Amino acid sequence: MVGDINMKKIILNSLVAATILFAASCKPEIETPAATTAGTANFGKYIAVGNSLTSGFADGGLYLEGQKVAYPNLIAAQMAIVGGGAFTSPFFTDAQANGSGYVSLTALVNGTPTLTPVAGNGWRDTPTNTRLAKYITEIQNLGVPGMRVDLSFAPTFSAANPYFERLLGDAQVGTTSYFQYVQGRNHTFFSLWLGNNDVLGYALNGAVTIPTDPTTALTDKVTFSSLYSNFVNALTAGGQKGVVATIPDVTAVPYFNTVTPAVLLTAAKAINPAAAAIYIQTGAGSVRAATAEDLIRLPFQNANLFARPNALGFFYGLDPRNPITSNWVLDKDEVIKVKDYVNSYNSSIKTIATSKGLAIADTYVYFNTVKAGIAVQGININAAFISGGAFSLDGIHLTPRGNAAIANVFIDAINAKYGATVPTIDVSKYRGVKFPDK
Amino acid sequence: MKKLLLSALLSVPLWVFGQGFQVNLQGQKQIGMAGAGSALALDEASVFFNPGAVSFLEKNSISAGVNPLLFKSAFKQTGSNITENVKNKIAPPFEAYAVWGPKSNKWKLGLGVYTPFGGLVDWGNEWSGRYALTSLNLKAIYFQPTLSVKITDHIGIGAGFVYNHGEVNLQRALPVNFPDGRSGHATLEGTGSGYGWNAGLYVKTQSNITFAVVHKSKVVTKLNDGTATFDVPESLRTSFPAGNTFNAELPLPSTTTLGVGVPLSKSTTLAFDASWVKWRIYEELAFDYATNTSALADTKSARNYRDGSSFKLGINHQASEKLALRAGVGYAFSPVQDGFVTPEAPDADRYILSAGVGYAPTSHFEVNASFFFEDVKSRQQKNIETGLDGTFKTLVYAPGLSLTYKW
Repeated sequence: MVGDINMKKIILNSLVAATILFAASCKPEIETPAATTAGTANFGKYIAVGNSLTSGFADGGLYLEGQKVAYPNLIAAQMAIVGGGAFTSPFFTDAQANGSGYVSLTALVNGTPTLTPVAGNGWRDTPTNTRLAKYITEIQNLGVPGMRVDLSFAPTFSAANPYFERLLGDAQVGTTSYFQYVQGRNHTFFSLWLGNNDVLGYALNGAVTIPTDPTTALTDKVTFSSLYSNFVNALTAGGQKGVVATIPDVTAVPYFNTVTPAVLLTAAKAINPAAAAIYIQTGAGSVRAATAEDLIRLPFQNANLFARPNALGFFYGLDPRNPITSNWVLDKDEVIKVKDYVNSYNSSIKTIATSKGLAIADTYVYFNTVKAGIAVQGININAAFISGGAFSLDGIHLTPRGNAAIANVFIDAINAKYGATVPTIDVSKYRGVKFPDK
Repeated sequence: MKKLLLSALLSVPLWVFGQGFQVNLQGQKQIGMAGAGSALALDEASVFFNPGAVSFLEKNSISAGVNPLLFKSAFKQTGSNITENVKNKIAPPFEAYAVWGPKSNKWKLGLGVYTPFGGLVDWGNEWSGRYALTSLNLKAIYFQPTLSVKITDHIGIGAGFVYNHGEVNLQRALPVNFPDGRSGHATLEGTGSGYGWNAGLYVKTQSNITFAVVHKSKVVTKLNDGTATFDVPESLRTSFPAGNTFNAELPLPSTTTLGVGVPLSKSTTLAFDASWVKWRIYEELAFDYATNTSALADTKSARNYRDGSSFKLGINHQASEKLALRAGVGYAFSPVQDGFVTPEAPDADRYILSAGVGYAPTSHFEVNASFFFEDVKSRQQKNIETGLDGTFKTLVYAPGLSLTYKW
């Protein structure tokens, strides 16, 4: 029997030993076809040229959290894995992390959001608080909120745009154009996502151009093509490779799809069941009942105008004699016009990029798939305001999750064009909208 | 003759033996033979493998064993350079059997308690697929009272009633964020029960070659009033009400097995099992919540499993009166179709390798040990429902030990 016990002991001991051994080792391996590589691209010095999307603008403001997850910053971190260099950005300091200020979601009652401004603290002229803290050392994230292709060539815009002004030395303000600013940086690779505001500025003002405000103009199609070509020529002057992005359909963002005529009518009927239609003033000046094809701007929900009676007792938006004014509405004819411009710009962008052998990140296609709804790593992402997860609280700019998803569109395009294997980004690590925990 | 039979069996068109949540650890001797043995009246584990063979067991016996199982799965997102691994969690499949009948009588009674289905996968709360799944702990414990009758000296039949006690705990992250950025979390936990049967025919020919036909019925396990806990920001509480419950149904598939046992010599026996698992009943994983909201609809996730099959070949060699050595190989075809691979069962076709040893110090007492290894093939998949896109690779290790008393 002694022998039996020993035998049992041996078996038991070896089982325990085997279990511990296997718990510690024998991990399954997943073989990668090839090591990560930059392919034919050189990511030694990457610069990102663009507008608010490139800068990390989110929730209606430029602030540190958004800057850190701007898609170029996410891309640069992945490029570093395949030999890319450092990437610098004009971050606000931790002490000035609120930057220009932004909005946060402070309550959600029966699906109705309360958006509360968070005051900016990124000023250099406290207590006036109109001028942003300067950042004039060399940077690679060159995104400037509000930048347009046409105004890239206007030196005066550097004085008018506070986000551009903060990046310039005093002597350059008002004299240096964005086109000049981005040059001479000895970059080896670039991304260019510009042109959105050439049509969005117009659309965001309800397709009403204010003569004194060039940011509300619609850039002429031929002008766009010519200036964009100049831009690409400058960025590829040293034979650099890069990626350009198409412009999303501006009507694919929550800004134009949240406050719909149907939503307004339902709200009106809850108070007055006799309400029959929502009335709008079109861009052409006529007044008619709104249809689902007419898009109303997101800020209308907080404008405190809807259903207010005027002096004659006609309720705003509910009576043809007191319609929603044209600046709040992108009516269906204006939608057609805006879409036509986007298509024209994109056609120019793709033609120019193709002629230069550049990668094309087709964000136009991607945003349309987001509008329809997609599942990424178990996360359902769509273009719904707040719940969709991709768009921040301004309904136009991206959440960290949206930035990660779009960064992967760029990475896929870069990898496909240059035979690179820049690793994609784990989208699950990035948040959507923050919901109040009270 | 023996050769002919084997080749005939091996040339059977490829059935699919599904794995999925199937756990092939029900008897230490059979585990050592890759899970083959339905056509062998080896021991009391025949209650599971073939109730028809139980009446051919010479002795009454009682046994209990455990097979600590380590399911090591890795995932690499398509396009990523990072490989993620499941946490080291040891699942405890176990088996206990008792067989009793008056000596020299033609019938025997049996009882089996075993774990034919289960899963323990914990990917952690930080992995890239956490919005599809963070962890699954699924257990099915079958209780099977059995009657086996030796009709002639060559034919035995047997059948058992199966009661299943099932437990499930399924967790995943929710893509809604708290003010500090962390994600919400859902936990679905419940117990349930189901019923079925297990019947087998055992034939021992004049030449001592043995055959088996065994059918284990499906066991549809119903989970009622499980708890659904949602950790979400308070502003979303009305959408994910506290104290919610759910009903769900987990259909555990039927298995039909054909087996053959071939004595190569006095001390050496070969066993071959071919099994067909009707996994096609696992069409969807549905959760019916007691309280639905605009954000919380009942969910129906398509699984669309097809039937599976497996082939297992084992050898049992009685090295001495006291010592037995065993080995086995097998191959199993996954029931999970392209587009439906999930992190809860990152399944693919798999190879099985096993070895075992038995030691009987006295005629009453036996100790058996086994080591079971499965190599689940690497599989790159994009899940249709969740969009989770990447490569899974899994290795399974299960050492085991059982003790038997015979009289």
